[in-house]
Amino acid sequence: MHPPLSLIFFFVTGGTSVGLFTLIYMLDILSSDISKEILFMGSFVSLCLIAVGAVGASFHLGHKLRAWKAVRRFRTSWLSREAIFSGIYGALLLLYTLLLHNSKNSLYIGALVCLFGLLSAFSTAMIYASNRFVLEWHTPVTVLYFLIMYLMLGAGALNFLLSVYNPAYGGIFKILLVVLVLAFLLRLYFNIRQPYIKRPSLAEALNLPFNKPVRLVDKGTTTENYCTKEFFYRKGKERLSVFLPLAYLLTFFIPTAFSLYFLLMKENQILVSGVVFFSILSGSILERWCFFVEGNHVQNLFYGLYPSEKS
Amino acid sequence: MAQYALVIDLNVCVGCHACAVNCKEWNTQGQFGPLSDYDPYGETPSGVWYNRVFTFEVGEFPNVEIFHIPKSCLHCQEAPCVPVCPTGASYKREEDGIVLVNYNDCIGCKLCSWNCPYGCREFDEIEKVMKKCTLCIDRIYDESLPPSQRKPACVLTCPAKARFFGDIEDPQSEAYKAIKERGGYVLFPSTGAVPSNHYLPRTEKELDLSDLEERILKPDSQLFLEVWKRIKTSKEDY
Repeated sequence: MHPPLSLIFFFVTGGTSVGLFTLIYMLDILSSDISKEILFMGSFVSLCLIAVGAVGASFHLGHKLRAWKAVRRFRTSWLSREAIFSGIYGALLLLYTLLLHNSKNSLYIGALVCLFGLLSAFSTAMIYASNRFVLEWHTPVTVLYFLIMYLMLGAGALNFLLSVYNPAYGGIFKILLVVLVLAFLLRLYFNIRQPYIKRPSLAEALNLPFNKPVRLVDKGTTTENYCTKEFFYRKGKERLSVFLPLAYLLTFFIPTAFSLYFLLMKENQILVSGVVFFSILSGSILERWCFFVEGNHVQNLFYGLYPSEKS
Repeated sequence: MAQYALVIDLNVCVGCHACAVNCKEWNTQGQFGPLSDYDPYGETPSGVWYNRVFTFEVGEFPNVEIFHIPKSCLHCQEAPCVPVCPTGASYKREEDGIVLVNYNDCIGCKLCSWNCPYGCREFDEIEKVMKKCTLCIDRIYDESLPPSQRKPACVLTCPAKARFFGDIEDPQSEAYKAIKERGGYVLFPSTGAVPSNHYLPRTEKELDLSDLEERILKPDSQLFLEVWKRIKTSKEDY
């Protein structure tokens, strides 16, 4: 699949927003070390991120001004649900941030913000996980992985925020380490699973007997078309062997090493926390790029571009 | 409930692309047009087509067979592209089962094409909406046309008469009879989409060339000598 940059942008901005708010809200309930100042800053940054993410995601649409119509098919479409839940999340977050600004903290509204943020994340993940024609994505692990990635982005951002406002607070180090390890394991499973996916063949697509070899002779066009460009990214496939290890390094390995350092040193430093967050952020952008490029749509069978079961 | 669809005879289809060209010609100027072209006179011409013809080879040399599959929207009975549309722009008509896109509601998110296992939807980069075969709905219900012309453009133009159009749920229709009598089948049945368009399977035929070898492929055959002379002349001219 061709990676749409606007959706990758929404993933990292929306993901950081939901993850950051969820974690900061939970820590505020569970710990007295989260000051009102940090809570306000976290909420404000989350609000800015979801707003910027929503604007960025609209660049994926052919008709941005009609985007409001996406609320119509809540009953059947995960994209419609994502639009509605994200909208409610943003609106509630704005209300919550305004309340904080006026020195009022509403636990109930905060809980609703968390709930709709997670529902929005779940709906986004389901857009991919429910697509049964991209078998790499069509697994419950995609949903779990999305949610953990959101928390990982949020933990990275919160760690950076705390390094500015409360360097002595060490509670975030363990959370960061746990979500990093979980996200790494889920990504590893995502990759290990791919060679074992039972893939359809061209004979199955053409509904022909399986005992004879079939091959594409002519695809009816001498140049690329929408289907070959949208569902198969040749340049991406060629670069995957470089970008995927780099994504692992930046998203998981470097931040994990620094998280262990934080844990051992029991101290947070702005510069190092900044490096960790930047590493998670840039790694996640690369990781999402790989996620799209790794996805193979079954329509590619008709163009001779689908991997065989053996490869 | 009626379900209009195409039935394509793979024994007769010669892969001439006339169906694809006439589809493009009719629809680019019809109610669901245009079918935009990009770089039409340049080095890499491309654009939106509702119908594309693929050619496949089956078997191993020397026992191979070539066949052509014209592929347009299959108007699936469980169309997976419809429920994923966030605006309801993609819909399946109850009265005839045709799957359509309402361009005024399409936001161009492309999610419907991601959920089509057949690759039969194409995004129009100029109009910024998703486009697909309409079964020439602007022809088949046009009462200003004579009844014999109320068929999709691809069906009318096919020089080999390989395409049938009709209600595949109506036992009186030509399409229904062709499917029942000649074992019509669908593409990619495991997708669960239940396509409406059907294909009539190829029946293996062996040509008896003994007569040709015995009577014509002889040095003293006048026909053979004439053909040989023309081949030689054309090669020299070339």
